[in-house]
Amino acid sequence: MDAPASFLKGVLGMIKTKKIGLHTFMAVPAFLLFALFFIYPLIQGIGMSLTDWDGLGRSNFIGLQNFFDFFKDERAITDIKNTLLFALGSAPLLNIIGLIYALLMNGKFKGKGIARVIIYLPAVISPLIMGYIWYLLLQPERGFVFHALELIGKSSWLGNWLGDYTACMVVLVLVNVWQYAGMTMVIYLAGLQSIPEELYESAKIDGASYWSSFRYVTLPMLMPSIRINVVTNIIGSLAVFDIVMALTDGGPGYSTETLSIYIMRMCYGSKTGYSTAVALIMFFIILIPVIISMRLTREKE
Amino acid sequence: MKRLVAMLLSVILVAGICTGCGNSTNASTAAASNASEVSSKAEGHVNIKLFTGKIETIDLMNEIINDFNASQDRITVEQEYQKDASNIIKIKFASGQVPDIMTTYEQGFVDQGKYLDLSDQTAWWDRLSPEMKVDCTDVKSGKQYRVCTNMTMAGFFYNKAIFSELGLKTATTWDEFEKNLQTIKDKKPSVTPWFIFGKEAWHLGHLIEFIPHGYIKQQLGSIEAKKAMLDNDKAKLNFGAADGAMATFAKNLIELKTKGLINADVLTATSDNCVQEFVTGKAAMLSNGMWVLSSLTDADPKIADTIGFAPYPSYMPNSKPVVLSAEDSGYSISATTEHKAEAIEFLNYLFKAENQKKYSEASKAPSAFKDVQAKWASTNVVSEVNTALKDAVNIGFTNEKPAGFSGDDAGRLVQDLLSGKYTPETFATAYEKAWNDGMK
Repeated sequence: MDAPASFLKGVLGMIKTKKIGLHTFMAVPAFLLFALFFIYPLIQGIGMSLTDWDGLGRSNFIGLQNFFDFFKDERAITDIKNTLLFALGSAPLLNIIGLIYALLMNGKFKGKGIARVIIYLPAVISPLIMGYIWYLLLQPERGFVFHALELIGKSSWLGNWLGDYTACMVVLVLVNVWQYAGMTMVIYLAGLQSIPEELYESAKIDGASYWSSFRYVTLPMLMPSIRINVVTNIIGSLAVFDIVMALTDGGPGYSTETLSIYIMRMCYGSKTGYSTAVALIMFFIILIPVIISMRLTREKE
Repeated sequence: MKRLVAMLLSVILVAGICTGCGNSTNASTAAASNASEVSSKAEGHVNIKLFTGKIETIDLMNEIINDFNASQDRITVEQEYQKDASNIIKIKFASGQVPDIMTTYEQGFVDQGKYLDLSDQTAWWDRLSPEMKVDCTDVKSGKQYRVCTNMTMAGFFYNKAIFSELGLKTATTWDEFEKNLQTIKDKKPSVTPWFIFGKEAWHLGHLIEFIPHGYIKQQLGSIEAKKAMLDNDKAKLNFGAADGAMATFAKNLIELKTKGLINADVLTATSDNCVQEFVTGKAAMLSNGMWVLSSLTDADPKIADTIGFAPYPSYMPNSKPVVLSAEDSGYSISATTEHKAEAIEFLNYLFKAENQKKYSEASKAPSAFKDVQAKWASTNVVSEVNTALKDAVNIGFTNEKPAGFSGDDAGRLVQDLLSGKYTPETFATAYEKAWNDGMK
C-alpha cells in the first residue's frame, strides 16, 4: 500500500478509536501560523548564527565561533549583567506593586473606576515616549524635577544620576515599574475577583485575621494570576529595550546597555550572524527563569 | 461522524488559507502582468522609489516629485523617508526590496557592487564643481557611484557679541582656543564657554571625525588618508600612540572639563539644550555643522546676523586649523534597478537649476552646481563660512570607518572618557582596538 493511503488509513483509524479529537484538527491552522512565524524563523536563525554573515554579502559557516566570541567580549558580559540586574529589580517589584494596587482597587471606595484607569494609563503609552518624557522630567541640571527641587533649595537630591551606575539602574527599574504596574494590577484584579466570597466568610468565621486570609486564601487562589504575571514580567524585563534607549541610550558609553540593544547594534554594525547568535543566547537566558518559575508556580497551584 | 466532519472542516480551512495565499500570489502576479500589459499599452509607465533619510527637505522633495510626476505620464516617483535610513537600507538590500534611488551611501555597499556607476553622467559632472567630483570619487575604483548636489561645513559656531565684548579673536591654535574659553569663563561666569551635548553619541563621534581624524587627513592629504583608513594602515593612522592625535585630543578634552570650560552636564545635555543655551546667550560656542542653522534660526530668527563661524584650531605640532567642507545630499542609483533611464530622467529634473536653488535654500547648504546661485544662509553666515574655508584646511567626513565601528560607537567611547573610565592614553588604545575590531 502506498504512503498517502497508509497515512489516511491510519488517521481514520485514530478517529474511530477516538485518539484524535475535534480539538486536534482545529489546532492545525494555529499550529501552521506558529510554525510559519516562530519555528521557521528559529530554525533559520540557528543556521544564521553559525555563519559570519554581514547582512549583505555571502555568508561562511564558522561553527560555534560567534558563541565563543560572545563570551569573550567584555561589553557583552556587562550587558548580560545589566539585563539580569534590571530584571531582578523590575520583575519582583512589578508583581509586588501590581498586587498591592489590585488589593487596594478590589476594595469599595468612591472613584475606584477612575483610580484604576489612572494606574493603568501609563501602560498604553509607548515605552519609548515614556522614556523621553521621564528624561525631560529627570534630566540633571535641566529637568522639571531639578527645577522643582531647586525652588526648595534641595536640587542636590537629584544629583547627576546618569553619572552613577547604581542610580541609573534604579531610575530605569522605577520608570519601568511605574509604567507597567497597572498591567500587572489588571491581571491580579481579575484573579481577586474570581475568588469566591464564601472562602473569606468561612475564614472569618474560623477567626482568621486579614493576613491569615491573605496568606491561606488569597495567595493560593491567585496562583494562576501570579504565574501569568511572573512569566510575562520576567520575559518583558529581560527583553527590555525602549526604556533604556530613551532614558540613557545604553550610556554613558555602554554602561547601561542591555542585551536587546547590543543585538540591534551588532546587527546594524554588519555582524548579522553574530547578532543572531546573541539573540539565541538571549532566548535561553529568558527561557531558563521562565521554566523555573512555571514549575514552581505549578507546584503551588 | 463528528470527528470526521471536524477533520474535513480543518482541512478545508487550511486549504482555504493556502489557496488564499496562492491566490494572492497569483493575483499579484496576474495584476503585475496585467499592469505590465497596461503599462506597455501606456507607453511603459514605471514607478520608481526614492529612499531618503533627510527629514529637513522631505516636504520640498515631495513638491519637486509631484511637479515631476505631473509634468509627464510615463514615470511616477514615490519618496520613502526613514529616520534610521542608514540601517533600514541594509534590511532592504538583504530582502531584495532595493529602492531605485537612495540617499544612503557606504563604502561597504560600493564594494558589494550595490550602486550603479555614474562616472559617465557628464551632463551632471560638467555642471558640478571639480572638488565635488573628487569628493564623490570612490578611492578604490576611481569611479563615481553617487552624485552630491550640495556642500556642508562644520566648525565652531560662536556668539559674535560675546567675542566682541570681551575683545576675543577666533583661535587658530588650541592654546589660544583654551585662553578664549578661560576668558569667557572668568568674565562671564554664567555663560558656558563651549557647550557639548554629549548625551548624543553622534555629536561626540563628530568631534573625533573633525579633530583627531582632521589632523590625520591634513597630514596625509584627503586621498591618502582615505586609503590609509580603508587599508587600516596602522603606521599612518597611529591611533593608539600615547602622544598621538587621539590621545592628545582626549587629554585636551579632559583638561577643558576639569577647568570647567565645557558644560558640567556634558554627558546628559541634548542638542535641544545646546540650541536653547546658544540662542539665549548662555553658551558662547558650540561645535556643529550647517544643518544646525535651521534649529538656531527657528529658535531665534535674529540670531543669523550674530553667529560667527570658525574652524577647529590646530592642536598638534606643525598642523593648521581645519574646517569640514564635505559633500552633502548625495544620490545613488541601485545597480539592480530595472528603470535606470527613468531614474536618471528624474534626477535630471531634480538637478535643474531652479529646483536646486530651492533645495539649497531649504537645506541651508550651498549648492555644488556652478550654475546655481542660492541664498542658503544670511549674508553674515555666508561671509563667516567663506572666511573659514579660506583660512583653514578643508577636510571631509570619515566615510571610511569600519563597518563594525560607527561614528556613534566612537562617540560612546568619548562618553566613557568623559565619565572617567579612561585616561587619555587608555582612551587612545581603546579607540585603536575598537577600530581594529570593527575591521574584522
